[in-house]
Order: sequence, then C-alpha cells, then structure tokens
Amino acid sequence: MIKLKPISRRTFVAGAAALIASPAIVRAQEKKLRILGWEGYVEPEWLDPFKQATGAEVSIVYVGSADEMFAKMQGSKGADFDVVSFDTSIFPRYIDAGLIAPLDLSKVPNTANLAPEFREVAAIQRDGKQYGVPFGWGSLPLIYDADAFPTAPDSWAVMWDPQYAQQMIAQDDANNCITWGALASGIANPYNLSDADFETVKAKLIENKKLLLSYYAGFDEGVTLFADNGIKLMYSMGEPQVPALKAKGVNAALAIPKEGAPGWLDCWTVSTGAVDVDLAYAWINACLDSTTGKALTQKTAFGNTTNTEVNTAAGMTYGAKLSWLLPAENYEKRVAVWNEVKAA
Amino acid sequence: MTGHAKRWLLFAVVAALPVLFILLPIASFLITSFFRVEGGVILADPNLSNYGAFFGNWTYLGTFLGTLWLCLQVVLLSIALGYPVAWFIWRRSGTVRYALLLLAVMPLFMSYIVKLYTLRAMLGLNGLLNQMLVGIGFLDGPSQFFLFNQRAVLITMTVIYLPFVILPIFLSLERIPRGLLSASADLGAGAFDTFRRIVLPLSLPGTIAGGLFAFVLALGDFVTPQMVGGTTGFTIGRVIWSQFGLAYNWPFGSAISAVLLAVALLIIGLGGYAASRRRV
Repeated sequence: MIKLKPISRRTFVAGAAALIASPAIVRAQEKKLRILGWEGYVEPEWLDPFKQATGAEVSIVYVGSADEMFAKMQGSKGADFDVVSFDTSIFPRYIDAGLIAPLDLSKVPNTANLAPEFREVAAIQRDGKQYGVPFGWGSLPLIYDADAFPTAPDSWAVMWDPQYAQQMIAQDDANNCITWGALASGIANPYNLSDADFETVKAKLIENKKLLLSYYAGFDEGVTLFADNGIKLMYSMGEPQVPALKAKGVNAALAIPKEGAPGWLDCWTVSTGAVDVDLAYAWINACLDSTTGKALTQKTAFGNTTNTEVNTAAGMTYGAKLSWLLPAENYEKRVAVWNEVKAA
Repeated sequence: MTGHAKRWLLFAVVAALPVLFILLPIASFLITSFFRVEGGVILADPNLSNYGAFFGNWTYLGTFLGTLWLCLQVVLLSIALGYPVAWFIWRRSGTVRYALLLLAVMPLFMSYIVKLYTLRAMLGLNGLLNQMLVGIGFLDGPSQFFLFNQRAVLITMTVIYLPFVILPIFLSLERIPRGLLSASADLGAGAFDTFRRIVLPLSLPGTIAGGLFAFVLALGDFVTPQMVGGTTGFTIGRVIWSQFGLAYNWPFGSAISAVLLAVALLIIGLGGYAASRRRV
C-alpha cells in the first residue's frame, strides 16, 4: 500500500502559486497590443487578419468622450496603452503632456496608400515631425428632409429662415455650436475668435434659438426628435444620423453648406508608454491597408483615408469643403457664451 | 472593553457610511468651490472669485432665479392637484383606500427616464393629449402648445413629482383622530367648516413636507428641462452640468452647487419651522 505523503500547507501554497502564474509566464513571451479608441475603429474585418499575421493578443478599450480618453492616458502617463486614436484638434494637448512622441513613418509603409489630401496634415505635425497617421473622418453636416427640399439647401442661412420656425433642431454642444455660429456668420477662422467675434456669434445663435423647436443631446435623441416632430432641418452630429433617420421612415439627406461644416479627422498614434512599439506600428500599418479603409466606410459610415473610390461611392466627396477642427482659442469662454445663448 | 468604548465603536461603525458617502463628498465640493482653474489645471488657491462670478453675472443669477420660480410653480401645482387626491383617498375606507394609495404611488416603481419619454410622447404633436383635445372638439388640429416650452417642463415635473406630494399629505390626514371629526360634527360644524378648521390645519405639516419634496427634487433636476423644455429648457442644473465637461471648471460648478445646496437647506429649514409651529 502506498502511503501518500500529506501535502504541507507551504508546498500547497507554492504549487498553487506556480499553477496560477504559469499562464502569465507563457503570456509574457507572447505579443500583446493594448488599443485605446472609438467604437468602430477595431473591427474583425481588419483585426482578425492582424492577429493572424502577428500572432498577437489584442485588448481594446473604448471611450465615450475625448475628455475620458485624455483622462485615461494621463492617468497612467500612457503606460496602459500602446496605440491610441483621437482627432487632430487634440494633438497639441497630448504632445504638450508628453503622452505621444514623433512617429517613425518608415515603420508604416502603408502610408503610401494615404489619399493625397491626408499625406500632409499640418494639425498633426510639429517642428516638421509627424505625430499621427490619419485613419477616419466625418463631419457635422446639415441634415434635411428631402421631401421638403427637392434641391439641397446650399447655405446655413436656411436655418435662420423664419419660414422653418419650430421645424428645426440643433445639437447642444458648446464647442460645436460656437464653431457653427462662426461659420454661419462668415468668420474666416471659426476656431480663433476675438471678443468681437464672440459677440457676433452669440447674437447669431440667439437669433437661431428663437426659430428652433429644441436642442438635442446625443445621436439617437436627435434622430428621435427629428422623426417624431416633423422636423425639416437639423445641425447634425454626424453622417450616421442619415441612415438612422431613413430607418425611421424619414427621407433624410445631408448637405455641406457653402460656408463649410465642421469636420473631424481621427489619427492613430503610438503612446510614449507603449511596451511593444513595433507591434503598435504594425497595427497602424494594418489600419492603412486599402481593404481596411473600405471596410471602415462600408460598415460604420465614417470616411476613410486610403480608399477614395469607396468614399466616393458612399457620397463622402466633400472633404475639401469641410472646416477641419482645430484647437479652439478658449474652451471655457465657449462654454460661458453658449450658456449665455441658452439663458437668453 | 468598557461599555463606554463599545458605544463609541458602535457609533463609529454606524456613522462611517454617512460620513463616507454623504459628508465627505459634500465637503469635497464645498472645498473645491474656493479653488480656481488656470490652463486646464485646478489650483488649490483659496479665493472667492467663483462666488463673485456667479452673483456678478446675470446669465447665472437670472437662470438661478428663473429655476427657483419654476420650482415654486411646480410646488403650487402639485399641491393643488395632490391635496384633493390625497383627501379623496383618505375618505375611502378599508381595502379601497389602500388600493387607491398604491395606485397613486405606483409611478415611483417606474424609471424616471421611462416616465420622461412617455410624457414626451403623450404631450407631443401626435400624442395622446392632442388626440384627445382634437377628438372632443376642443382643438381644431394638434398643437405644439404642450411640448418644448416652459409649460411642458411644469406639466412634466408636476406629474413626475406628484406621488412625493400625495404620500405625506395622506399620512398627515390619516393621523387626524376620527373623534375630532365627530366632535366637530356634534358641535354643529358643517363639512366645510370641519375641513377648514380641523382637517386643513392638521394636515398642513404633511402638505408642507410634500411641497418641500417637490421643490428640492425639481431644483436638482437638469434632465427634464432639457428633454421637454425645447430651447427654453435651461435651468441652473444645466449650468452646473456644463462646468464639468469641456469647460473643465470644476471649482465654478462646485460654487454654483454650493449656492444651490444653501438655498435648498434654507427652504427646508423654513418649511420645517413652519410645520413644527403647526403641530398640535
């Protein structure tokens, strides 16, 4: 008869610890990529081929706002993420905080696929060095009911026309609305307003407020208000509101008025806290594959930066007419003026 | 351990939760309200500039006074509607009474957001209210009279906070000894005199409590005005909200919250004092 040696408490603890730690020991030798981004930017169409090609394990964190994203990066000084994506207007904030560094574009050969207008974007360059790689874009267009407008309105002035009083809505966002008011007032640079400009914009927005049925907060809220209240015109939060309205039976269409509409351009970049820097570059390279751009536009209704034909097919041919977001002169002032408009 | 020490320990354990979850957060925003923001960084540099900015700017002060006026209207309307309902339920007997009471507070079981969406659908152009008014011939066609204006905010808040008013009024009515009503009748008082001289004074503490509930809930509500108020749905809660996002002016937001808290406490204090003087 075999006598089993009783397991001592110490042996047991040591054995258990080794057992628990073993996957971690194996994992440490595997490649791991930690992505911070927006929903729709890491889809199986380009994630799966990337995983197969590199054998890497990928963890993804999505955020709901640009502020939340900055807080997450700042909180760990970038150490929690390898690769991250945000819009061009916030790049100075990240560069100043030391959370991102100039990129080595020789590690991203697919930048050759970039459409010409996305090769040299001043907003993501500093001192001749490039800090980001353009990936996705969109706008805040005018959305209208095509049954009421057989031809698309060509100017924001239509939203100041008393004829459509109580048949219009606008998003409730301080920064976007000040930019909008500045564009509609014909101010050359809507991101660098003087005190006099602020007065003009404020008067302009108060005039518009009297004609609006309501402001709306959030993508779906705008679509619901539009569909339920016979709305004809809306200062929208983005392209995806058009298919959402169509799904509710509204014959919706979008227009970029001649004064321009705010446009945003999201770019991938590498965190200064990245562990596997080459893997981060490999991810950015995979995102610039021409098949990735096609999948992005067809699946999410965002514009891509590599495949012009797909953008054209989706109707996204107005990149040149957009007023690309820049860092604003004073966000606090924008919120204060917006509050004055709403309290007027 | 002595009995004394044990009592202290017990007190510490019981007090820990309220201190941790109520007193500390309030203290933290009171302290923040004296700080200031520069270049996107909150500086612990005690000063009164946030309070100066609030009281010195009509945009904020005016919005605040407008909000107080709105809350007062909500209180008056919800008491005007809630008191008769509570009185009616109180006059029923037995199971009918408690079944009705349960019905009156039933909306409390429903999510606040669900109620908001439901009310918005009912008040809208194609909503139940318009259909009814057109159906009985009161209106020629559906009207936007009831949605996306201050009236809509008033109606919606009153409907949502009504159960909070009905319940305390009912409870104070129920505490009135039936003997007092019989005595009043024996002494020759009619139904109206009994109500005016017995029921109303004795139910006043509950009515004040109900009004205070409605007032404080309405004061802090920044979602209802936004959802149903249209372009006029701007209240002080919304101003506070706006300081915590893009503006990143937490100290200013905290200062407005502190003013709001002080006014709410003052009104609760006055209400409590009035109610206690009425106690028989």
